[in-house]
Formats: sequence, C-alpha cells, structure tokens
Amino acid sequence: MFAKSSNRVAVVASAQTSLKSRWANRQHVDLISEAVSAALKGSGLRIEDVDFVIDSGSDILDGRSISNCGFLGAMGAHHKEESRVEEDGLWAALYGATKIGAGSAEVGLLIGYSKPSEGDVSAFYWSQVEPFYQRPVGFGHEAASGLQAQSYLAEHGHSEEIFADVVAHDWAKAATNPWVETDDVPAADAIRASAVVAAPLRELELARAVDGAVAVVITSQRVAERVCPTPVWITGIGTAIDQHAFARRERGSLPAAKVAAEAAYKRAGIGDPTKLSIAEVSASSAATQLMVLEALGLASPGGAPALYRDGSEIHLNPSGGSLPADPIMATGLVRLSEASLQLADRVDHAPAGATSAVVHGAGGVGMQNHCVFTLEV
Amino acid sequence: MRDVAIVGTGQTVHARRRKDVSQAGLVREAVDGALADAEMTLDDIDSIVVASGPALFGAVNQPEKWLVDGLGGHMKPVVRITSGGGTGLAGALAAMNQVSSGFADKVLVVAYDKLSEGALQYQISTLYDPFWGREFAVGIMGFASAYWKARIETLGHTEEAAALVSVKNHKNAFRNPYSHVRKEVTVEDVLNSRPLAWPIKLLDVPPISDGACAVILAGDDVVPQVSAKPAWIRGMSYYGEADNAANRFMLQSVPLQLAAQRVYKKAGITNPRRQFDVAELQEPYTNFELSYYEGLGLCRTGEAAALIESGATEMEGDIPCNPSGGCMGANPIGATALIRLAEAALQVTDKAGERQVPGARTALVQAGGGWANLRGVAVVGADKN
Amino acid sequence: MEAKAATPVMMRGEGLGSAPGENPTFAGRIELPYTLTTGRAASVFLAELANHKLVGSRCEKCGDVAVPAQDFCAACGETTAADFEVAPTGALTGFTATPAGVLAMIRLDGADCDLVHKVLDAELADLEVGTRVAARWAASPAGSMLDVEGFEVSDAAAAGEWPQPFEATADVEPVLEQSYDLRLDYDHAFGPYYGTLFDGIATSRRIQGVRCPRCTCVLVPPREYCDACFVRTEEWVDVADTGTIKAFSVIHMEFVGQVREPPYVYAEIVLDGSATRLIHSIGGIDVEEAKERLHTGMKVRAVWKDAEPTGSLEDIDYFEPVFD
Ligand SMILES: [Zn+2]
Ligand SMILES: [Zn+2]
Repeated sequence: MFAKSSNRVAVVASAQTSLKSRWANRQHVDLISEAVSAALKGSGLRIEDVDFVIDSGSDILDGRSISNCGFLGAMGAHHKEESRVEEDGLWAALYGATKIGAGSAEVGLLIGYSKPSEGDVSAFYWSQVEPFYQRPVGFGHEAASGLQAQSYLAEHGHSEEIFADVVAHDWAKAATNPWVETDDVPAADAIRASAVVAAPLRELELARAVDGAVAVVITSQRVAERVCPTPVWITGIGTAIDQHAFARRERGSLPAAKVAAEAAYKRAGIGDPTKLSIAEVSASSAATQLMVLEALGLASPGGAPALYRDGSEIHLNPSGGSLPADPIMATGLVRLSEASLQLADRVDHAPAGATSAVVHGAGGVGMQNHCVFTLEV
Repeated sequence: MRDVAIVGTGQTVHARRRKDVSQAGLVREAVDGALADAEMTLDDIDSIVVASGPALFGAVNQPEKWLVDGLGGHMKPVVRITSGGGTGLAGALAAMNQVSSGFADKVLVVAYDKLSEGALQYQISTLYDPFWGREFAVGIMGFASAYWKARIETLGHTEEAAALVSVKNHKNAFRNPYSHVRKEVTVEDVLNSRPLAWPIKLLDVPPISDGACAVILAGDDVVPQVSAKPAWIRGMSYYGEADNAANRFMLQSVPLQLAAQRVYKKAGITNPRRQFDVAELQEPYTNFELSYYEGLGLCRTGEAAALIESGATEMEGDIPCNPSGGCMGANPIGATALIRLAEAALQVTDKAGERQVPGARTALVQAGGGWANLRGVAVVGADKN
Repeated sequence: MEAKAATPVMMRGEGLGSAPGENPTFAGRIELPYTLTTGRAASVFLAELANHKLVGSRCEKCGDVAVPAQDFCAACGETTAADFEVAPTGALTGFTATPAGVLAMIRLDGADCDLVHKVLDAELADLEVGTRVAARWAASPAGSMLDVEGFEVSDAAAAGEWPQPFEATADVEPVLEQSYDLRLDYDHAFGPYYGTLFDGIATSRRIQGVRCPRCTCVLVPPREYCDACFVRTEEWVDVADTGTIKAFSVIHMEFVGQVREPPYVYAEIVLDGSATRLIHSIGGIDVEEAKERLHTGMKVRAVWKDAEPTGSLEDIDYFEPVFD
C-alpha cells in the first residue's frame, strides 16, 4: 500500500464502549481504559506487546489542555511512544499505519474518545472558526450543516423528504448494533416531524453527539499472522483538506472527500468502488452523508438518495454510522473498528460474505477535512 | 522504509509580540524561510503536519483548519499533532513516518505558538485535572521548581550551576539572528533576579515569545534532486509517562532515558559525550538542562553541575549545548522543539553562521512537554546511519 | 468485546446539593482573556468598515478572489492583500436559520465569491436564493466584523460599478488587535472513583485510594487501572491525612487565574499509605523560613478547614510540617 514499504498493516482487534448520549457516571479515563482493555482481551496481545499509542481527543471538549498528557495511564501508554493527533481518530490510524509501514514498530494501539456531554458541542465547533470574520457573526457547525443541505437539495432538485430516509436507515442499523444506545428508534415520519434546527435540517437529521471511546490494535503482517486468525488488511489511505472559509467552499458536494477517496483507491488499486462490500462513513448530517457517499464514488453526484430509496449493493453503515452516534474525535476510528469487526465476521450485524470496505472520517466545521481507508480480508 | 532527511528549515524572527502578523501570517513566515532554504515552492509539498501548543494558547481550536490557506494545503493531507512543549518534535516524528513509509515524499512540518495572545500561566494551569490540583497549579513552574529543589538536595544541581546555564544560553542567543532576547547576563544577575517560584528566578526562565519554525523532510530517493546538503535523521522517538503513576521517579526522566536509549541504538551511539559534536536541548527552565545532561548520558548522574562548570557545554567546549541559545533566546512553546531540530540540522550542514560549531557532523536533539512526562530525542547527522 | 457492566459503588450524591438519583457533576469553567492579532488583510478590512467599505483580495497567481480580504490565497497559497472594494449590496446564494438567527451566504455586488453574515429582521419564508440585501452599518464602529450588524432585505440595486480598485482611506489606522474573551463551561462527571473519594472527604474527611493487585501500590486519586501495570485496581484502601513532602517550591509570582495569594508554598505530597503525588500547599510556616527548614522526605499533616465540607481538596486548608 505504501510506495516505499513492503510492510502490510492489519487491524487485528478493536473494541468500543457503548456509545450513548451521556455517560453520566464515567470519566474520560474510565471510558478509555475500558475500550483499551476490551480491545486487548482475546487479541493474543498484551499491553506489554504494544509498541506505541496514538490517540485522538480534544482539549476543548475535555476541558483540559494537552489532555492526552493526563490520560496516558488509562491509555496504556505509560513508558511507551505516544502522540496525540488532535483530529478525528481515523488520522490517528493514518499515523499508526505509517509508523508500522515505516518499519519502526510492529504493534500500535489507536484510541479515540470524547465526552461531548460534559461540554458544549457548539463551542467545540465555533472555536475552530477563525475569530475575525466568521466567528463574530455566529457561524458554526449547525449553520454550515443547514447551508450544505440547502445547496445539495437545490443543486440536484431533491426534496427535503430524502433526508429522513437516510436517518431512518441508519437508526434502524444502529438498533442492531449492541454498542449504540438507542432508546427510541425514530421512523421516517418521526424524523420529518422533528424540530427544524438548521433549516432545512431537522433535529434528527443532524448527527447525535454521544460519549464513548474506541480502541483499535494494528500490527505488522508478521505479528498479525501470528496472533490473528482473520487479520483485516489496510489496503489504501487518503486524506485531503478543503480551504477554511466556508462561504468559499463547494456547498453541495465535498471535493476534499473525493480527493481523499481517490488517493486511497489509487493506493489500493481499486478501480470501481461500488464493488466494495461495506461503506462505513461519517457525516455531520443526512445531507453531508449523501455528499460523502457521492464523493467516495458510490453514487453519481445527486445520486446517493437512490441508494436508500432503491436499495444498495454496497452495505451502507451496517453499524448505523455517525448520525445515530457521533462520538466526536472518535467517530472515524469507530468506523474503522466497525468495518474491521464486520469483515472479520466478529459481530452479529456483519453483512454476510463481506470481503472489502471503505471507511471514512471527517473533521472541521462543514466537514473541512477528510480521511479515507480501504480494507480487505 | 527509507531514510529521511531534513532538506529545508525556516524560522520567524521571534519576539515578545508580533503585532504585525496573525497566527497564520506568523506560520507562513517560517514556511517561506524553509521553502527558500530548500529551493521549493508550496506546490512541491505533498503533505503538511502542523504542531502547536494547546488550543487555549491561541483561542482557536484545531488551528490547522484556519492556517491551511496560508500553508498552500488546499486538497492536501494536513494533520495537527499536539503534545505540549515538545510538540514540534512530535510533529516531525509523524512527518518522518509519513516519508519513511512512502505515504509522502516531501512533508512540511510547521510548528508555532503566538503566546502573546493570551494569559500563559493560567492557560498552562489548565493542564491540571479540574478535580485534582488545578486550583494549586502554577503553570508548570511550581512543579518544575519543586523537583529542581529536590535535585538540589540529592544531585547537587545548585542554583549557581543553573545560573551558568542561563549565562551560557544568553551568551549564545546573542549570536543567533532569530533570538528574541539579546542580553548577556552574569551569574550574579541570575542569582539576584526576582524569585518567581523559588528556587526558579526570573533569569532561570526563558522569555514568552511569538514564533514559528518550519522544516521540510524528504525521502532518500528524493533528496539528491532537492538538496546538496541534507541533514539525515538518524533516529527520532517520543515517549510518554503517566504523570501520577505510582512511585514515579522524578529525579531523572524515565521517558527521556527510554527515548534516548531507542534513538542511540538506532544511530549507533554508545558514547554520547564523544560521538555528538553538538546538542540542542529544550530547556523551559535552566535546571532542566542540567537534568538533561544526565538523562542523555552526557555525564553521569549527579555530575551535571560539574559538567557546566567545566565549560564542556560552552561553544568552545567538547560538547556545546544550545549554540542557538536554546529556549533562553526565544520560547514560542509549540515551535521550540522544532527549532531545536532545525538548529541541529543547520549545525550538521554547516549553515549555522555565527553560532556554527566548527566541523559538526552529528547532533543531539532533545524535546519535551507536559509535566516533564513527554520526552523526545533525535539524532541528526551529516551522514546516514 | 462486550463492554463490561457498571460496577456498583458509592456515588457522590446525598448531602451535596444534588437531587437523589442523579449523577452530580463538577462545574468547571475556563475563562480566558486574549488580545488577538488580526493580520495584514484583516486589519485593513476591519478598519475600513468604519468608512462603510468592504474590501476583498485577489490572487495574482491564480486569480482567485476573497471577500473579506485574506492574507493568503486559499486556492494556491500565494500571498494576497486588500486589493478591491465591493458594494454593500448583494444577493443571497444560500441561507439557513439556527437558534442563533438567520445566517446567509451573500454574493456582494462586484464579488466573485460569497461571505457569511447575518440576515436581520427576516423570516426564512421571506428569503430565496437571489433575494437582494444591503448592509446595515453599526452606529458606533468598533473595528469588528459586527460593524456590519448584518444584512437586511432591500431591493436596492448596486449603486455604481463594482468592484472598484481599493484605495485606503486617509488616516485610517489598521485594526491590528482585537480583544477577545473565551469562556467554556463544563459539567465533569465524577465517575465512581472520584465520586467515592470526594464523598469520603466530604462526609468523614476520609481519603481513599485503590490498590493495584500487581504492584501492590495504592493510588490516590483512585482510578480504575494502575497506570504502570495497566491492571484493574481492586481494593479500596484508606490512606492517612499525613504524608511526606516529595517536592516543594515557594510561589512568588502572580498570574491571571491564580487562586491563592502569593507568596505560598506549593507542594507535592505522598500521603502515608499511598504511592502517588497530591498537589497542595504547605502552611503554618513563614515562607522564608520554609526555604530553610523544609526538605524533601519531611513529614506533613493535613490541616482541615473549619467549615462546611465541599468534598474537594479545598477542604484541606493546607498541610503543616511536622518537625521532629
Ligand atoms: Zn491563488
Ligand atoms: Zn500496578
């Protein structure tokens, strides 16, 4: 996969805490250590075997600076190589994969976590906006999502009814996922009746922020073949960022996601991504989820709603995706964990016979930054 | 799996406050310097790693999302690494892995902090657990001075020895055109300076600076096309230690020793004092430099005071430490570790101007952050391993 | 892979002002003052708002334009500067309403790109793509983006030809700095470990740690995993309110956000029976005397406040040295 390395990198184990609106009786460290210990359990690897830890979390969400520094023990990172990637956890996976690809380590532990219930999700996003032009007018995550949805509908002549189909599909999938806490699984009608919060988007059409942690163990080929009966191979990685000023970006599509996907497919030698078995993608809203699927080449521009209306060859978000459960900073790494567990057939919600997957994570207001992985068993 | 070299470096003119540039403009100034040094343009860069201190330093969360426009990062891989004071080296390590694996051929690492924007000590105090200790925290200074006091008692790292570090680094900073502080001081000046967190006094502490540094890394097959004088990264590592682990040893830094062990092994360093021609150490307080001498094996445990007193770490000594002036010349925290790496690269490529250690071919770099629990080490050489 | 069930432990709760059955949280607040530097282009853009001018930048290399003016071309990275002026009128290209109000993408007359701003006094139903708007200028400009309070629906056509070359107004001082206050509020969960610890402190001045079954060390504050061993801690253990000084220093400096008045003695203390550090202060001794008489390894004991307990480290007023 890497141009200058013959080292293959495999996902050999992963685990997550339950993802829920509020883990009222757990600290960050409690969630993190729970995910890490669960990932190692039964993996054939012990904490002593882990060479390095790369973690994703947010100082602003955590309410403490350099928060990794205080969480090293819970992460199993004591006296290990460690770094914090302050971006969605899929970039931690990128870092870990290059480290193993470079041959400088064999076993990496990747961690993503957050507890948005303790802080202010809006502030997490508006604080990412430059403070002179956009921040003073109240621009943030909700407004970006609404504007993207409006442009998407206008560019393709769709009705806003399509969004509820996407959300209903993902919540129904999430209901089959034991790690997503779903008290009520809203049907399309209920979604269409929920309050408009970022016109034209309704409350349930925006991703639900949840608390949780995920841990993923990646290894070299040598270690994977020794410890894991069904290693899941990372075959491609791509990432790209869009410009900062939201008003000057494409609003009805996600060109950076397209560039990231094309880079990943090129590395993996994937010519036709619609032949992949599984897509586990992240999105801030039902509208951007459609845009992500199009950017990944799984549908033509404006064609993604048909994947929900008419059914799709590729299994879309068997885990439920990020709309029912968005553990900000961990969301993309949860997708990687999920796709790996599904490909290795270690979860009940795994689609039968799946052999390959595309995994997507994003960061920033209006999904400015994108990362794409491809996997196969 | 290929060797990686530094093919360009750039720094801003560091200052207490750079009112003329935004955070983005500050960063760009360093990038322009690195591109000019490497004779490249932004178009040549495949991937960008941004490193900076905590978001609270600049009131912008995930600031790479804003800086990307000034980095020419549109549609490229851009990611930010944050790891406290040593984050510049942590960022370089991420970039090194990108190049070594072949994920990218030419990676721009840029590190910065614009500390004049906010209230630094309080910002640093937010490192502490909100339940446990934040109310008593004094940035990291209270902590750093407390363990220095313990080292004074046990290892003889005296106030006078630390003052010599301040004198040396101030003197060296005077020769560095990027320095923010250009003032020679005497041992008496340091000892008589105002106590901030006793035994730490004003002149034991580096300035608070606005500044940025940029470094361009390239893979060995690309290097001949882009640089006649590469500085090879012969080893680099960054270790963590749980801050409040049981019986955490505070007199020497275990993660520093672990990082040094790993890097020395890779680079074939068995006698650091003899094999290194020069060292660039990130000393947020003078006493840390003394501790690093021991942790990095430049002298034995308890001999740091004797080492500085001997003059060995002066410009004319056998192991000059911080010919750049170290943090004492400028301390834009997030950039500081990358500045150490850039300075080491300048040394081994004979580009360090007035602060050049004659004939330097192998340089030691040290960086760190947090509660002295994040520690990085690198070896940079004119030759490959 | 199954995440394990919650361990039933005593939770911080009754007697501390929380409703029964709830998991109380610790209210954290980070409140920080800043003076931000705006940069070349923004300093001009913001200054010219007082003159009712809206300034953009154009990239000489690739032709990309930006309104407001930017220091760098977002498309190619080239350095740019305030270069042309656009009209204070334009048309909406997109809009949304959030609880914060109506925000829109506005294509100003003479601009080839959009900017984001508020639409004032409008309902969504009044708006469509193409709706004409005009800037409403603030009565007292402050060098901020809000010197345009927002845009209001107006069928006014653009007055004159746009864009126009930008010429800086005479005697305009660039807005190089803006003061900014950041406030972030948190409700931190105590969790079972801190909850038990702080409940014990509040109810009976009892300090509890947990023991690691592998290294047998007692950890305070208690935590689920031993940092060094990454093994689940098992046993709750009471530790003393006496201990030894691991390290100390004397704080003379003052800084924003400081809780105690300097000078005071900062100390890291290992409580008897534990193997971890507790950050607190040492009192009952003059600070100059402390520099002479305190040393690492010295015994100290907690002096508890004679007040209603709050269930935090603040319930200990300070630690006092025990001289042999
Ligand atoms: Zn351009
Ligand atoms: Zn233990």
